[in-house]
This record gives sequence, C-alpha cells and structure tokens, in this order.
Amino acid sequence: MSIRRILLNFIIMILTFTLQTTVFRVFAFGGVVPNLMLVFVTSIAFIRGDKVGLLTGFVSGFLVDIFFGAILGFYALLFMYIGFFVGKLHEVFYSQNMAIPIAIISVADFIYGFACYVLQFLLRNEFDIGYYMMNIIIPEMVYTAMVGIFYYPVVLKIHERIFDKEQRSEKKFV
Amino acid sequence: MSPIIRRTGEDFRIPSKYLLSILSVLSVILMLVTFSVERSKLGPFEGPLNAFAGVFIAPLQRGITTVGTSLKKTSDRLSEITKLLDENERLKKEIEDLKIENSKLEQDKYELTKLRELYALQDDYGNYKKIGARVTGRDSGNWFSTFTIDKGEDQGIKVDMNVLADGGLVGRVIKVGPDWATVQSIISDNSYVSGMVLSTQDILMVKGNLNKYEKGAISFTDLKDRTGAVKAGDKVVTSYISSKYLPGILIGYVYSVNDDNNNITKSGNITPAADFAHLNDVLVILDQKQIPKDGLEHKTDSND
Repeated sequence: MSIRRILLNFIIMILTFTLQTTVFRVFAFGGVVPNLMLVFVTSIAFIRGDKVGLLTGFVSGFLVDIFFGAILGFYALLFMYIGFFVGKLHEVFYSQNMAIPIAIISVADFIYGFACYVLQFLLRNEFDIGYYMMNIIIPEMVYTAMVGIFYYPVVLKIHERIFDKEQRSEKKFV
Repeated sequence: MSPIIRRTGEDFRIPSKYLLSILSVLSVILMLVTFSVERSKLGPFEGPLNAFAGVFIAPLQRGITTVGTSLKKTSDRLSEITKLLDENERLKKEIEDLKIENSKLEQDKYELTKLRELYALQDDYGNYKKIGARVTGRDSGNWFSTFTIDKGEDQGIKVDMNVLADGGLVGRVIKVGPDWATVQSIISDNSYVSGMVLSTQDILMVKGNLNKYEKGAISFTDLKDRTGAVKAGDKVVTSYISSKYLPGILIGYVYSVNDDNNNITKSGNITPAADFAHLNDVLVILDQKQIPKDGLEHKTDSND
C-alpha cells in the first residue's frame, strides 16, 4: 500500500463522512439516510482485499465513534469486521460486473443494521424487531444500495487511475 | 528488501488475521475504558481524538453547511421574486382589511399578556447564560439522534450542558472538541430525562423512542399519579431531581396517558416542544446544574 493510496483513502474517507453528516441528511427519505460510510468501506474492501478492508473499516468506524458513538470502539469493531469479510470476497468475486458489489453492499448494510439492532436495542429490551426491520433496516439497505450504484464506480475509477499511475512510474524506474 | 522489488500492497508483513485480532482487542479495550470512565469527564483518549476531529472534520462540516444554507437562500430568493410581485398587489389590498383587524387584535393581545402574567410559568430559564450555535452535522446512522454543533470548548461549552431550541429542551452535550460539540437529543432512543408534570408536580421519566418519534412523540414512564389528575395537554418540564438537566425547562406536552400493568405507575406519550425535524440553530445554556461531587449518585438520567 503506497503512501499515495493511504493518503487518498484518507481524503475520500473524510469527504464521505462530511457528505454523510451534512448533505445526505437533506436527502433523507422517510427519515432514513443512506449509509455512505458503509458503501465506502465495502467498496474499498471489495476492490483491495481483506487487509486494506479491515484497516479502512477500523479507521472509518473510529471516525464515526469519535463524533457519534456512545462507546468508543463500537463502530470501529463493526466496520472492521465488515471490511474484513467483504475483503475476503475480493479474491472470489473480483470482476468489473456492477451487480456483485451492489449485492455485497446490500448484504453488508443488512448485516450492519441487524448488528446495530441486536447490540444496541435488543439488549435494552426492545423486542419489536418487525418495526425496526420495516422502518430502519430494510429501507436503509435499499437506499444504501441505490447510492452504492453511483458511489462504487467512482471509488473504483479513482483506484484504477492510481494503480495505472503506479505501474507506469514503476516501469519508468525499472 | 530493495525498494525496487518491493511491490505495492505487499509491504505490510503482518497477516491480516493477526491484524484483525489485534485491532479487535484494541477496540474492545477502548470500549471497556470508555464504558468505565465517568460520563461527565472526558476519557483518556478523547482529548487528543476530539482535537484531531476538530482539525479535519469540523471545518469541512461547517463549510458545507454554510455554503448549503446560503445556496438554498439564494435560490429561494430568485424563485420567489416573480411570485412576490403578484403577491405585492394582492397584499396591498389586504393591508386595508388587516388594519381594521389589527386594532381589534391589539386589544386581545393586551388581554393575553395580562392573563399570561397571572398564569406566571416560573419564568426561570430567561436568566441563564446562553450561547447560540448552529447545527453542522447529523448522526451518520439511522438509529440514534445526535448532532454536532459549531461551538466547543473554546466557547466555554462543557459536557452535560443543556441545549434548547424553540423554547423547549433539545438535549445535552455529550462530547466536546475545541470548536465543535456533539449533542444527544432527548428523542434519541438511549436518552432518559427526569421530568415533572407542571400542574401536579408528579415526577416521571421521559425516554426517547425511535419507534414513536416518527409519529411525533416521545414516551414517558414511571409516572406515579394515584388520583389521575394528569391529563392530555399538561406541560412537562425537567424535574428538580434531575442530575444533568436544569429544573423547569419545557420538554413538551402530555399527549396520552395509559395505566401500566402494575397499576401503580403510568406511561404514555409526550409531544416535544422543540421541532426536531427542522433543527438549525440551538441555544446552549452555559450554566450547569450543581450537584454534590460524590455521595448522592442519581441514576435519573443516563446515556444508555
């Protein structure tokens, strides 16, 4: 992982987080906001593999923790595991086909929502899973997948561009 | 390893499995530490972390919010000019009618102020020191309702300070950075506020509820009201025994009251006074409730 990529990922992450907390709140549809952070982590993990995925997940989750987490480390852990497992799929599925990453983003967001419900609501005796499913988890999943359709290609393009550049400069030196 | 042979992506030599477990352990430790540290104080890591966030994120958030607001204002203004010209004609005619009505209303107003003075709602939060702040960002998820504001430690904001909007309680500060702060709103599912029905002085517990807020309500529990005097429309304010909230701040109005199964307590819904869907500017009260440092450990308000 070159310095340039780390820096680039960091900048994209900060932009994503800022967009999510400011602009996307305006686009809230029925009170539900797409989870752009998750799209970012999933995309990076899917493009770059498990190690980069888990590191990106950890740092992004930590950023969410600093601002909005009740307990420092909760979202870091959750995003890290999502990054790791999606990164594992990198070797199996990597292709230019758009359908696969979008499907993975949907599943990842569903798991994220479900984990949030179980760990933060179910454990406080809020048993109405049907309500949370129909009003938060599933709408968020659909909305996030829709945003992913536009967001994933952008991340992919940026990474391909950087990769090309690195290969070219390597050739120049060798 | 020479730098030429070293290819990109391979210079991390820790296998990802170990990295995963190391970072997992780190997160769990962080969780335990933040969980055990007293809520009103900053944890050992929070100071530097919040400062870091203040450098990178807070200015961006503030910038985007400012640009967004001003853009919206300009576009609104442009689209409204034509509408306004037509409206102007119509309004001129209306003015005549209104002048007559106005004189009548002025009499009513005089009466109203008289009556208000009689009712005298202990006008107590007029004399707290307050500071205005703009909401710069909202929670990134859909589960809880917290937001960031553009004032922080440098402006004298501390953890647990109360936040108001529209004359009603919005929440309290839970995190502070150099020039930003995070506010947990009372509609957030993990927020508990000790409240009091103004007319009967009965204590109750106001609890944010994700399920109910979409219907425009927050729930309350543990109301001990033997005589059944509490009814819809009654004012609910923060109680005197609350450990984090100043007494007498308007929370909202009782919307419905139900008996609990135990026949001792009652629960129901409150319509909040603040409009949480359109929070743009809030007021932070700089005075904080003084409670004994040790001893009386009130469990009246908590975070989760």
